[in-house]
Amino acid sequence: MKHILVIDDAATVRLYHRNILETAGYSVDEAINGIEALEKALVTSYDLYIVDVNMPKLDGYGFLKEFRRQEDVLQSPAIMVTTEAGNQDKILGYVSGANLYMTKPTKPNQLLSYVRLLLGEVA
Amino acid sequence: MAFIKKQQSSTETEDERQAPRDFEGLCEELNHADSQVRRWAVRDLVEMPNASSVLVDRLEHENNVSVRTGILNALAQLRDTVSLNGLIECLRSEDAALRNESIEILKELPDEVGAILENLLKDSDSDVRIFAVNILESLRHENVEKWLISVIEKDSHVNVCSTALDLLSEVGSEQAIPAIKKLKVRFPDEPYVCFSADLALKRIEEGSQ
Repeated sequence: MKHILVIDDAATVRLYHRNILETAGYSVDEAINGIEALEKALVTSYDLYIVDVNMPKLDGYGFLKEFRRQEDVLQSPAIMVTTEAGNQDKILGYVSGANLYMTKPTKPNQLLSYVRLLLGEVA
Repeated sequence: MAFIKKQQSSTETEDERQAPRDFEGLCEELNHADSQVRRWAVRDLVEMPNASSVLVDRLEHENNVSVRTGILNALAQLRDTVSLNGLIECLRSEDAALRNESIEILKELPDEVGAILENLLKDSDSDVRIFAVNILESLRHENVEKWLISVIEKDSHVNVCSTALDLLSEVGSEQAIPAIKKLKVRFPDEPYVCFSADLALKRIEEGSQ
């Protein structure tokens, strides 16, 4: 079973994404900010990260930049999910290390299609 | 792999003040190449009248995280109109870390923020409206629920409403129920809004029993 880390400071968003992903057969862990996500990512090999941008302590850009610098850690793909839809925000996301960028609010089918694409599960 | 915490150097704990501590001298040091000198200048400027505008100006260019945090804390301490406007302006920054730091600071200023929050919630930029709702998250102000209800009743942007709804799920009372039900009707094709509204209604109804 593929293991996914959902990183978002909003409990409702985490629960929403967890429900979608678990219903589709994935195992899900949660982190409430970039610091907690880094701590988890350094001890557990996740297959995919779903990352919010605006979070206290360490935002999504900061998490991805720091995570991508860790050479000893499996460099799994990441989807950045955020309310910010501007081109500049997307560029920042990709520069930080995101593989795909989604604008909130996410729709289940769209999220799952991105997840499957990045996990190589597309037929 | 463990995080490597940077060792605190001796210079970070010692008083490195060198130049005269008058206003002009401190303003000059605020632009010094050494971040340690800038940090001390920030600390000493807080004690001086009219410091807000120079600190706000410096904030726009400051790249050192700890100096920047020092400036934000100094502005929170000064609490005048210029400081508050400087903190609010950070919400429009492209720098997510600066935005989030200013949100955390503004949460600690309930009286000052309360006076301008209604304007922030009507800002033309939906991102600023979302950040204004984020500030409400732990703002100890008696109008928080009223503001959140108003947002989900009137704001046309789905993400502003969703952010307010997330918070109402935690702090909302029975008086929020009609507005939450209407929000589902306003955004029937948004699965997240429906999920979040149902969750908020369940929590509020359970909390009232």
